[in-house]
Amino acid sequence: MFFLQQLLNGIAQGSIYALMAIGYSIILGVVGLVSFVHGEVIMIGAFAGFYVLTFLYSNVLVALLAGFVATWALGMFIEKICYKPFRNAAREVALIATIGLSITLRSSAQIVFGTQQKFMPDMFGNRFFAVGDIRIAYTQVFVMLVVVALCIALRQLFFRTRFGIALRAVAMDKKAAALLGVNVNRTILFGNALACSLGGISGVLLGMYYNAVHPLMGATMAMKAFTSTVFGGLTSTTGAAIGGLLLGIFENLGVAFLSSGYRDIIAFLILIVVLLIKPSGLLGRKGVEL
Amino acid sequence: MATNPRIILFAILGVFLLLLPLLLSNDYFMRVATVILLYVLLASSLNVINGYSGQFNIGHAAFYCIGAYTAAILSTRYGFSFWVLLPLSGLVSALFSCLLGIPTLRLRGIYFAMTTLGFSEIIRLSVLNWTSLTRGPMGIPGIPFPNLFGMELRSNAHFYYVILGIVALMLLVTQRVLNSRIGRAWIAIREDQAAARAMGVEAFKYKLINLMLGAFWAGVAGCFYAFFASYISADSFTLDEGFSILAMVLVGGQGTLLGPVIGATFLTLLSEFFRGIAQYRLVIFGIAILLTVYLRPQGIAGSSMLFRRYRETEESGIEVEIEEVELDATHT
Repeated sequence: MFFLQQLLNGIAQGSIYALMAIGYSIILGVVGLVSFVHGEVIMIGAFAGFYVLTFLYSNVLVALLAGFVATWALGMFIEKICYKPFRNAAREVALIATIGLSITLRSSAQIVFGTQQKFMPDMFGNRFFAVGDIRIAYTQVFVMLVVVALCIALRQLFFRTRFGIALRAVAMDKKAAALLGVNVNRTILFGNALACSLGGISGVLLGMYYNAVHPLMGATMAMKAFTSTVFGGLTSTTGAAIGGLLLGIFENLGVAFLSSGYRDIIAFLILIVVLLIKPSGLLGRKGVEL
Repeated sequence: MATNPRIILFAILGVFLLLLPLLLSNDYFMRVATVILLYVLLASSLNVINGYSGQFNIGHAAFYCIGAYTAAILSTRYGFSFWVLLPLSGLVSALFSCLLGIPTLRLRGIYFAMTTLGFSEIIRLSVLNWTSLTRGPMGIPGIPFPNLFGMELRSNAHFYYVILGIVALMLLVTQRVLNSRIGRAWIAIREDQAAARAMGVEAFKYKLINLMLGAFWAGVAGCFYAFFASYISADSFTLDEGFSILAMVLVGGQGTLLGPVIGATFLTLLSEFFRGIAQYRLVIFGIAILLTVYLRPQGIAGSSMLFRRYRETEESGIEVEIEEVELDATHT
């Protein structure tokens, strides 16, 4: 019983991780670089949602939209600052630029938003319904619904639209895509913005799930997104989603048997184990090199 | 004879640094000078890892933390002396670096970077939660002043001389190691690991030695900090601290002995100048990194070898300009 309850919590939490990881794997695929700034993107999205909810007294969907829009803009900014100028440079240069931007954003956030944890208003009033002995909170249902809806929408976007096809082409081979008439610069710009806005939405969902947002939440979340992505196999979005779900489940089961102070350690341990046993991840193809 | 001016320059610098406490009567300036040297030590030790073998470590605060806690626990509970603890903290730190390095050093750069980030968080969370050993969030106060030949070291000038000695020793040792077989192997691995392996360099072994050496000096720095501040808590070893050290290495320049020294001095002085707005410290550091990347990607005094690929693609123009072959998708 206890196990099933933890499993459910894990799936709800894991679906948020899955969303972050999908964003991360899109960046890996389209931009071709690891982003150190993704954690801060998630944090900014969470704060955008927080302020819209608290000060505009609006509903959760508006908060999600706010997170989406804020981080979409941030994603375009990141592309202009960190990736575009260094496209032909050594990979380390863009990597260092994302580290610099991440430090700047996080410490600015601490000044602007304050260093204290902020409490997100609970939109569902802590309500839950019970199936047998398992409590299913409305928040959990809402989170899972949002994530599933977004995954379906993303799938349609990837396979049914011109932009989605361009995204996949660029992820496979930039030069060939350019030769076939894909506007590579614009695709990278919007692809990165899309990936960041997924991070932003997951930030809002995280805030709702824990009822709290914090300027330093980014680093641990980046670690979790990265772990899920590696777990699933780097550039595979399906793999990233599965990796995120599994990470959420393992975390909740782990916390059930250990102290909750060690929650953030579990992602690290999983990362090490996956890298040791199967570095290419669950659904990864060989030869992806970063 | 080309080295003569450099030797003279170093001699002048050395005399200047030795006489600094006589020139600066102000205790505050002595403290700043000591902190600068502490960061020089930390940045140089990170540079051994990031700059010479190309392993991207962003969680250096972990090794610093391990050194500091080793020193604090052993001195307050078991009365170990400062001079024993200096190497001992370094060794404990190096031992922990094996725990991190053995599973992760076989991996390529970015995986290693992320695992160091996680490692740093693990160390901090363990320190916070393992209350029976580390007193958790309360920190460890009352670390005694060290003794030297019966004299108690307690003023900033005393600590200044100690850290000056450590930094000089560290730079000397690093310079000797770099010119040895080990150092050559590191640089070979950094430039092209596959080629280095083809030449018979055991990459994993040398990378582990590299990580341990870097961690050793970070542990020594942690021990010094514990005695210098006489109080430590987990708050001093957050990811931000690791990022500050990283910023110093990146701004100063990776892959040279001088780079991190310049970076640590420059950024510590910069944050001292803006002391009134202390919360902007890391914002300044972040912007400094961004500016460095735009103006001089290899850092103020960095080794340009690290970014050789950057120059090659620029000069030869092999890269296809994407704009030139852009076609309008709607016409096809």
